[in-house]
Amino acid sequence: MSKPVVLDLKDATIRFGGLIAVNKVNFNIHEGDLFGLIGPNGAGKTTCFNLITGVYTPTEGDIFFKGNRINGLAPNKIAARGICRTFQNIRLFGSLSVLENVVVGGFLRHRTGLLSALAYLPPAIHETAALRVQAMELLEVLDLADVADVRSRDLPYGKQRRLEIARAMATGPELLLLDEPAAGMNPNEKEDLAETVRLIRDNFGKTILLIEHDMKFVMNLCEKIVVLDHGEEIAQGPPAEIRNNPKVIEAYLGEAV
Amino acid sequence: MNWPIRIGSIVLAIVVCFGIQYLATTMLKSDGQRLVALAGLYVTLAVSLNMINGITGQFSIGHAAFYCVGAYIAGFVSLRFFQAQPLQPVLWLVVMMVLGAAAACVAGFVVGLPSLRLRGDYLAIVTLGFGEIIRIVIQNTKELGGAYALDKIPAIREIWLVWLLAIVTIAVSRNLLKTARGLAFLAVREDEVASSAMGVNVTQIKVTAFVLGSAFAGAAGALLAHYETSILPTTFSMDVSFIILTMVVLGGSGSITGSALAAVSLFYLPEYLRSQPPVSGASLAAAVIVIVAVVAVLRRIQHHYHGTVAKKVGLYIGSIVGGVVAKLILGALFGLIPAFAKASYTGDKLRMVIFAGTLIIVMLLRPQGIFAHHEFSWTLIRRLYDKVRGKGAQGAPA
Repeated sequence: MSKPVVLDLKDATIRFGGLIAVNKVNFNIHEGDLFGLIGPNGAGKTTCFNLITGVYTPTEGDIFFKGNRINGLAPNKIAARGICRTFQNIRLFGSLSVLENVVVGGFLRHRTGLLSALAYLPPAIHETAALRVQAMELLEVLDLADVADVRSRDLPYGKQRRLEIARAMATGPELLLLDEPAAGMNPNEKEDLAETVRLIRDNFGKTILLIEHDMKFVMNLCEKIVVLDHGEEIAQGPPAEIRNNPKVIEAYLGEAV
Repeated sequence: MNWPIRIGSIVLAIVVCFGIQYLATTMLKSDGQRLVALAGLYVTLAVSLNMINGITGQFSIGHAAFYCVGAYIAGFVSLRFFQAQPLQPVLWLVVMMVLGAAAACVAGFVVGLPSLRLRGDYLAIVTLGFGEIIRIVIQNTKELGGAYALDKIPAIREIWLVWLLAIVTIAVSRNLLKTARGLAFLAVREDEVASSAMGVNVTQIKVTAFVLGSAFAGAAGALLAHYETSILPTTFSMDVSFIILTMVVLGGSGSITGSALAAVSLFYLPEYLRSQPPVSGASLAAAVIVIVAVVAVLRRIQHHYHGTVAKKVGLYIGSIVGGVVAKLILGALFGLIPAFAKASYTGDKLRMVIFAGTLIIVMLLRPQGIFAHHEFSWTLIRRLYDKVRGKGAQGAPA
């Protein structure tokens, strides 16, 4: 592969007391990949995301983003480097409107100082207006423009998930981590979502790593997949290979198969 | 930006402040004037605490400490240097406000930086403790008057400046909420983990809010010192912190106008009750029984009645009117009982009971505060009107 490596996990490990939640996981993601991270419940997928985004610091091993080591950095620093995520258990800013949620996502590109904001001076006004315009564009991409002024807590579930993606996109990341973006969606919504994710990759040039339980969704969407089980990596490869890998079948369906 | 409107509103604000001063000095005696000034200070305190508690979602309950720091620093410096300096008294007062604000800023930073890593209850304990520490340190410092008052502070009584500070505090809060930067403060309130994942430096935002809120309290302290000319450590006891907190909670955490209006009403409520004639035991007993019943009925309507908004409002009004009638009848009946008829209670004694009772009622019927996170504006009134009149028919249970 000629494309540069964006994210590189080297023996990433985290222990909580005696429990090894993620054990020596290695994988690397190239620019423009649509990468899937799958595994049964409790396999350590979300923990893996938490390691990458700085919520946890790996006990052993390293994580590199575009060649720079990022383990141990605070989550907001990692977001500033260009990694942004969505949350499995939706974490929107509930009482803010849909548009405002996305504007907060633009905080990283925020340049005017506090004083300018407190005095409501032109720089702050113009920047806020510009961020709102950008946020609106993103909402259109994610098909949320019609509910821009609705309080995000009042959105239906599927739209809340899309809003999570819009908000993450607003930080202008190079690598987008999606934690179960299709959870709780009906088949139609899932199909739409898959299309949107592909669109984000193709038109916006983002690299995407996603966790998903729905096998059909992942197999159709992702080009490369890593499978975790009990914190360990058990397989890696294109969907066709993963589907027929005996270890993966065993992890998902039990030994009898 | 629309400069004419902006300059116009600044001028209007100053005119309003002088108007308040003019009305207060021509219509009220000196104690009434003092209440007008103190009310303005409480608006500043409540709105500045709202920046910390309401907008940024941190639970600070030691706001009087920063008020205290501002007052003592400004009072102390004024006491020493006022005679020797060439400035006009008003200008000197402004300088003292800046000094008080700066001192409170420093205090806010020192307390905030380590303790804002804590959450919820823990932060509350730290701020409460800090308030007490400041008070006790002053009580034991001879140079600051110790347990006696720091007195003979030069009197510079400018009611307009007090209210201008209140308006500036309100304006700054509102400006913050109108810009993208302010949304980050709200985001921290809503979800810290998600905010930091979006690149928001959570600790920085929290400390900023804390320092900003403290600064306004400090400036208010400087004004207080020069208005009262004598300040005591007990002027800034825990009760003051709690009263400010009550104003914010009652007005609706996060609502700037809610905090401001609650500050004025809660400040004047005890003063109003103090001036009321004594009530008989009979009418008091009747009032307590009826209020409990009415609150219970209102709660039932709120939770179990799924009708149109208009009907709901009708039921509210109906039960309150019914309550008033019931109170009159019950009061007359109780009046027949000699023990009740003879007893009498002055408003002065009852004011703390009524204060507490009001809080309990609001917490039962509207725990998010009277204004919740809304702002008082003409659009809000229009929306409420529409809701009751037209769109109420869609009947979404509120």
